Amino acid sequence: MDYFRILKRGAVAAATSYRLILVMWLTALMMVLLVALPLKSILKGVFDRSLATERMLDGFDAGLAGDMGQSFGYLIGAASFGGLLLILAGFLLFTFFAGGLFTRFTIAWGDLNVASFMKASARNFLPFLMLALLMTLIIFAWTALIIGVPVGIVAAVTEGSIMGSRLMLIPFIIWALGMPVWLLVTDHSRRWMAATGSGKIFRAMGAGFKALRRGFLRSYSTMVTLFIVNVLFFGAALWIATFSVPERGGLIFLFFLATQALFILRLFLKAWRYATVSELALIQA
Amino acid sequence: MRRLLFIFMFSMPLLLQGQAIFDIPLSERTTGYDIAAVLDPDSKTVTGEMTAWWVNRSAMPVDHAMLHLYLNAFSSNKSSFAASGRWSPAGDEGYGYVRISRLMDASGNDLTRSMHFVAPDDGNINDRTVLQIDLTAPINPGDTLKLNMLFESKLPSPIVRTGYNKDYFWVAQWFPKFGVYEPAGMRQRESDGWNCHQFHPNSEFYANHSVYNVSVTIPSDYIAGSGGLLLEEMDNGDGTKKIKWRAEDIVDFAWTAWPGYKVVTDKWRGVDITFLTSERGLKIADNQVNAVKYGLEYLDARVGPYPWPHLTFVDPPVEGSGAGGMEYTTIFTSAGSGLVPSFLRMAEMVTIHEFGHAYFMGILASNEFEEPWLDEGVNSYWEERIVDHYYGDGYGLIRLPFIKFSDADMARTSYIGSPSRQAATNNLPSWLYPHGTYGMMSYQKAATWLHTLEGLITTETMDNVFREFYRKWAFRHPSGKDFIETVNDVVRREHGEKFGKDMNWFFDQVLYGTEVCDYRVSGVSNRKITGYSGIVDGDSVTFTRSDRKSDTLYLAKVGIERMGGMKLPIEVLVSFDNGDEILEEWDGTARFTDFEYPGTRKVTRVTIDPDSKIDLDVNRINNSWTDDPEFPASGRMMTKYVFLMQMLISLFTI
Repeated sequence: MDYFRILKRGAVAAATSYRLILVMWLTALMMVLLVALPLKSILKGVFDRSLATERMLDGFDAGLAGDMGQSFGYLIGAASFGGLLLILAGFLLFTFFAGGLFTRFTIAWGDLNVASFMKASARNFLPFLMLALLMTLIIFAWTALIIGVPVGIVAAVTEGSIMGSRLMLIPFIIWALGMPVWLLVTDHSRRWMAATGSGKIFRAMGAGFKALRRGFLRSYSTMVTLFIVNVLFFGAALWIATFSVPERGGLIFLFFLATQALFILRLFLKAWRYATVSELALIQA
Repeated sequence: MRRLLFIFMFSMPLLLQGQAIFDIPLSERTTGYDIAAVLDPDSKTVTGEMTAWWVNRSAMPVDHAMLHLYLNAFSSNKSSFAASGRWSPAGDEGYGYVRISRLMDASGNDLTRSMHFVAPDDGNINDRTVLQIDLTAPINPGDTLKLNMLFESKLPSPIVRTGYNKDYFWVAQWFPKFGVYEPAGMRQRESDGWNCHQFHPNSEFYANHSVYNVSVTIPSDYIAGSGGLLLEEMDNGDGTKKIKWRAEDIVDFAWTAWPGYKVVTDKWRGVDITFLTSERGLKIADNQVNAVKYGLEYLDARVGPYPWPHLTFVDPPVEGSGAGGMEYTTIFTSAGSGLVPSFLRMAEMVTIHEFGHAYFMGILASNEFEEPWLDEGVNSYWEERIVDHYYGDGYGLIRLPFIKFSDADMARTSYIGSPSRQAATNNLPSWLYPHGTYGMMSYQKAATWLHTLEGLITTETMDNVFREFYRKWAFRHPSGKDFIETVNDVVRREHGEKFGKDMNWFFDQVLYGTEVCDYRVSGVSNRKITGYSGIVDGDSVTFTRSDRKSDTLYLAKVGIERMGGMKLPIEVLVSFDNGDEILEEWDGTARFTDFEYPGTRKVTRVTIDPDSKIDLDVNRINNSWTDDPEFPASGRMMTKYVFLMQMLISLFTI
């Protein structure tokens, strides 16, 4: 009973934070456009008044890469480097917003306008950033340990002959089972920092682990649900975006709107996770 | 007694002729080999006794023989092959070699001491891949040289074309093999002589069509396949088995043995297809077998019949992947080991390519060492046609909703994208291509200009060129000049003098030249003619059009430029705002040309080479112009980029 009630309360809390989610979306969109629009201009410059763009209408004709010559390399380089910068900047931006969201779900339930949200985000930013870096590092190490090392060893020993077999699924399953634990620790730690106003990250992590132990099954099953929903949504959204090939201007604009709606939903799912963990903490208290 | 023994030994081939595959030989059968070999999986050696014969078909006596000892390329790091950096041994166990411990002629003369190594290509004294045998007496025209020898072949590791890995054996280029003796006139040669090149990193084949009677003894639990027709397999009762094969009119004999092979059999018309693969490769066995059938069907219809009743191909397992992508006419290897994602038709592409060598090198046995384009380039051209015909609606390699890639475009992209595309002509021996351009030039550039030739003379004529080439040269040794002569004959027959008295102007540029092809739309203008005034014949004249739009006159002008040094005839499609279209033809020889269209219509679109016939054009983006550029595709790509970035940011932020 608690399980559904917690998920529901988390969803309601996330949904009622729509203004904050829209702020996050808009900020992220503007940031990405800073890189994407110049790229589009480069692409236009390459093709100028050529009809060669018709070769891209029903999917990118990779043969064009040769015709584009060095421009193709520059474009890919700019898109990759720009993408890397965006991921780094986005990491900072979303860590910043996480501070505001946890404040919203912890101590200012129903009472956090955009200005206060920004203030709370700014107040929590540094400790949240340190915590996010630390936990990201732990998750990378976890991934390397559980997936990278065994797969590497098996591939070396068998000279790749069992790569792709079902046996290789085992490390991935173990990794997926462990991920909700790390997410719970991270979110509990952040909730603790938001609730106490403390910036001590190791104490926060201690509190996170302690909260994890209390009512572990309930917390874990809730987080597993959220993790699966997030993963499925992420995969489905990317699949839709990848395989959609709108060919005309109006359809492309609709496609743009659809992808942005998907991204807003993605932000909602993330906020739902934060809110649900905050709810879990309230119940445990 | 000794002489009797030799008479018996040398009569063995005649006895085995009773089991002939073809009633009438397909080739002259200048050479033949009878080999009895034993594979020792522990020492990684194949030891054997071989009787080899060669017929002097020249008009002059020949006093020496030359043989390839390919495996010696792996005997040290100083061979021309190893020194190129292409291969290094997996420890001391990895070296390979072939040693002849006894060599005798039919008269019982011991020739062992008259053997010595030569390096005709690069003079490398450490290269022991070409053996010269000075004969005790010259072989007169029409006579046969018969050699009997004991040899030991140590297989190399890792596998590059040939070798072993653990219990996987790909036994190729493994026995002493005659070079080709070319009489004067053959392949435009001025005087008689042996054509026997060293083992180079970039090419493998030039050999006579031969008859092979091969028996191998291998452990009983091994599964084997070869380019021969299986005659017999018998258990020796000692943990080994003996397999006998016979092959006729092929240029090389390779075989493989591995306990893990899974065997798939199928049939296409009269051809028995055997597919050896791994457990994982079974998943794509249907795709692989279909790929071979497509190749058979396509080339049979457009070039000539596949003559052999058997064909074996292999998808080596991961441990044997070094053997992937090789061709020995009636046995060849694919690649991928079942690990390539199915949307990428790479495995099928390799299968079709290597199968195609049965025609281009196998039947039409050109000299790959000296004219690699005639082997790899021609074969790549046909591979691309087959792959793009049967898969992906013209985009044979990848056809997904968001990306597409044709096999022909992959070759073209490799050529036009190479910074060294003008470093050399397309007519060099394989070992002389500079700056790593061998692959790009002999495979991709050659295939690209063959597609261009097809575009110019039409697909139907191109098919007829190859039908004629096959008819004239099957089971012989054509040269590049012989191919050009065939093109000239067929084009003249079908198109008269439309392309000039011959097509040499084309080959002079694409094969013997280094220039690139690039035409562009340099400018389009639709100048409004609002009035006309001036002095005509001493009288002042003024003429003014009305301002009504329907009466507006334009001087529409289209400028075309030749940017590259290559001159090819091109078509230019000009479209007007009233829906009219005009297809202009230009011989493409001048540096520029202008087309002018006075009248009431405006030019809205210009496209050079609208049917994409000229694959050699290194930049097709500048081939067209529109007055109304739209960028829906770039808008879509940017939308996807934005969304991907947003999702990645949300993924990496916990």
